Amino acid sequence: MANGTTINVLYFAQVAELTRVRQESWPLPAPIRGSDWLSELQARYPQLAPATRLKLAVNQYHVTHDCLIQPGDELAVFEPVTGG
Amino acid sequence: MSVETRAAQGQGRVLVQEADFDAGALLGELRERVAGKAGAIVSFTGYVRDYADSAPTQSLYLEHYPGMCEREIEALCAGAQARWNVQDCLVVHRVGELRNSDQIVFVAAASAHRGDAFRACEYIIDALKTRAPFWKRETLANGERFWVQQKDADAAKTAQWDNPTET
Repeated sequence: MANGTTINVLYFAQVAELTRVRQESWPLPAPIRGSDWLSELQARYPQLAPATRLKLAVNQYHVTHDCLIQPGDELAVFEPVTGG
Repeated sequence: MSVETRAAQGQGRVLVQEADFDAGALLGELRERVAGKAGAIVSFTGYVRDYADSAPTQSLYLEHYPGMCEREIEALCAGAQARWNVQDCLVVHRVGELRNSDQIVFVAAASAHRGDAFRACEYIIDALKTRAPFWKRETLANGERFWVQQKDADAAKTAQWDNPTET
């Protein structure tokens, strides 16, 4: 569970297949810009390199990579959606 | 379960489910909800078809982000009601394993006049394709499996609703 010094990260679809994990707690002692967090993510999971169009949602709302992610947030990572 | 029953249970007018749906029954339920107020209901039903060129589609698996999905689609319905004269909407989207020609999605919008109903229905399905967190994985008859990529044309269609003056 996310608390004051972590975020709860959710991976979907192809991203989850590449990371081989669907959900994990991620240490986050201080707010971080989405683009900076994505760099950390790529460092942790180099196999995500082919996924060049990663999108983020914070607390179940679409956000841009400029968004500031706060400790305690639920952060979702996925490729562009393909419903309908 | 009727739409009214679902609404009373807090499930609202947006449903994400594995089960198939009866499009005719859904239309009937929306019609009951807006009886005497709406002069027009426009509905859209989407079906599984062959997506890939290389081999026939065997099945389609739909993954979603529970919670965010329902909230995004509800926001699209609310957006349609703010923009056009729309009494009510109803959206059902299936997830899980689907076969060729299965129903995937149902969208209906009720309005006093047909113009607003047509526009609201088209807006909701267009915007759903680029905003609602669903992902399709296709399996071909030859065993090949891949995640479907969002089409630039779909993103452009949604953008056009946001900026109607741009071409």
